[in-house]
Amino acid sequence: MRSRRSRLELGCRIAAFALIGWLIGTSLFPPRPIRTERAAAATIAPRLAAWTRMPPASELHVDLDTVPDPWIVDWLAALRASGHIVRWSGSPSPAAIVAEPVGDPRAHVRVGVASPNGASVVLSDDAALIDTMHVASLGALESVPLVVGALHASVGGQSLEIARPAAVRSRAVFVVGRASWEGKYVATALEEDGWSVIARFAVAPGVEVTEGAPMLDTSRVAAVIALDSTVSRLGGALAGYVRDGGGLILAGTAASAANVRAVAPGVVGGRIRHIVQPAQSIALGATGFYPVTSLAENAVPLERRDGVVAVAVRRIDAGRVMQVGYDDTWRWRMAGAEGSVDAHRTWWSRVVDAVAYVPASPDRAQRASARAAPVARLVERLGPPASASRSNTSGGPDRRILLTLIMICLLQEWSSRRLRGLR
Amino acid sequence: MFATAQYESGDWDSAPFVPANIIDTIARYTEIPVAPIGVVAPLSEERMLRYPLLYLTGHLPVRFNAAEQRNVRRFVERGGLLFVDDHDHDVDGVFHKSATEEIARAAGPLAELPNDHPLYSSFFKFDGPPATSQELNGWGDNLVHTHLLAVQREGRIAVLYSSKDYSSEWNYHPENKRFLAVDNTRFAVNLAVYALTA
Repeated sequence: MRSRRSRLELGCRIAAFALIGWLIGTSLFPPRPIRTERAAAATIAPRLAAWTRMPPASELHVDLDTVPDPWIVDWLAALRASGHIVRWSGSPSPAAIVAEPVGDPRAHVRVGVASPNGASVVLSDDAALIDTMHVASLGALESVPLVVGALHASVGGQSLEIARPAAVRSRAVFVVGRASWEGKYVATALEEDGWSVIARFAVAPGVEVTEGAPMLDTSRVAAVIALDSTVSRLGGALAGYVRDGGGLILAGTAASAANVRAVAPGVVGGRIRHIVQPAQSIALGATGFYPVTSLAENAVPLERRDGVVAVAVRRIDAGRVMQVGYDDTWRWRMAGAEGSVDAHRTWWSRVVDAVAYVPASPDRAQRASARAAPVARLVERLGPPASASRSNTSGGPDRRILLTLIMICLLQEWSSRRLRGLR
Repeated sequence: MFATAQYESGDWDSAPFVPANIIDTIARYTEIPVAPIGVVAPLSEERMLRYPLLYLTGHLPVRFNAAEQRNVRRFVERGGLLFVDDHDHDVDGVFHKSATEEIARAAGPLAELPNDHPLYSSFFKFDGPPATSQELNGWGDNLVHTHLLAVQREGRIAVLYSSKDYSSEWNYHPENKRFLAVDNTRFAVNLAVYALTA
């Protein structure tokens, strides 16, 4: 009767010989070779029909310098789903386009194009060319007042397309503060830019000058601009308005008011003062500003000046709060260089636009066409490029693993026999 | 900051107590921060643009030189308010004739301001421009002017012109308000509040 050890030795020997036999067998009678087809992007379309008739488990490899049309990608994905091995390689330039409605009365749609730095983007709609943009920091933004049909962008040899977003009803901007030149000219600039402005300026104890009906409601007001600590008169409702999606701009010392301190991006620092000579024209921040200090965890600095943060923003639930350290931008408008009126108007309009309430677009997913982000869609349908994915087309286990198993079996048998004193 | 416009041609400083009196009035009735002393803003210098509310008065002809005219034009284009008061209160006088011509050249033609304009209700309520004791004092045109004149831009007053001689009416030391039954400088508060809020 064989001992347990001798049965183990026999098992190891049989396993080793079986594996050796399988290796010899596959060497003498290799499996039927997989048919591999290669094509470049430009030659894929005419060959799709032929590829469809190929036997199952054929290998298709396409070299892509640009992303083919969506229907070609879909066809390749269908071949992949039917059992073919479909792989692609190449590095088409990644690009994507988004279009969102904005509350700015002069620019109803904001278009963003993501692409490698330095690329030129030609933006158009169904009617005509809109503009040419230059990509910096991996993106380019454009505000478009009127879009006819769909938006198209041509970048790096790729054509991107997205449907026009639904228009957003323009809402008012509520400016609150003491009667001051800053309040007057902020309201004036926004009105000149087409915003509907509700203003409430404190003139004397218990006396306020009000234009329009102030109401903290995202259905009527896109953003609130608080110019000083009189914002505290709006009470706790203001924080609720922000959480519901309303925009809040805290200029100058407004962020120190008790009712907005918790939502402010930072703390109001001591005013940095600059001396402006009598003959000098005044630019933004030239006379000084209140730095934004002790930034909240999710606050993002937007502008630095003199080594400190001058403008910062943070998100509070659905709303956004921007803290602007400048408290006398009116001097820039009145006593600035030529063009300062336009610059002041544009600057304030952009600040409001950055935080203004815009209702969630229900048609967002619907609008994202197959051409909005071609490379992302390619990876989604066909997987990552071949160089990045591990391929295995031999149809069986790796031979290195088999050889290692054989060695283990033989060593096990040999060492067991040696320990028993056998040769 | 209350600023008096200085121009080359005439007696721009003919009412030296007016700035102090208006500053006192604004501080007395409102919580608007106001500098305790006024400044002089030469119209020929760009720094006049740093004072969005300017007070201009005099008895003598007003003839803007090129720099003054350019700066006044830029001032109103950028949203400033120029308050011009005829210290002569005489529509046939040289100040009125020359000042209205210069204003028309730099900012546009003057027109009657309706007496229900928001200026008259921006703080105190008036039925029109408040009368002054100077209008029928035997000097000037001896008329009670029922309207002020204005150049308006985008619905806002850019230049306000008065023939009512507020420069004489308000040209006294603020301490002497205590002798008045009704403060006659109250309209200045409306002017300041309108300039700051409209």
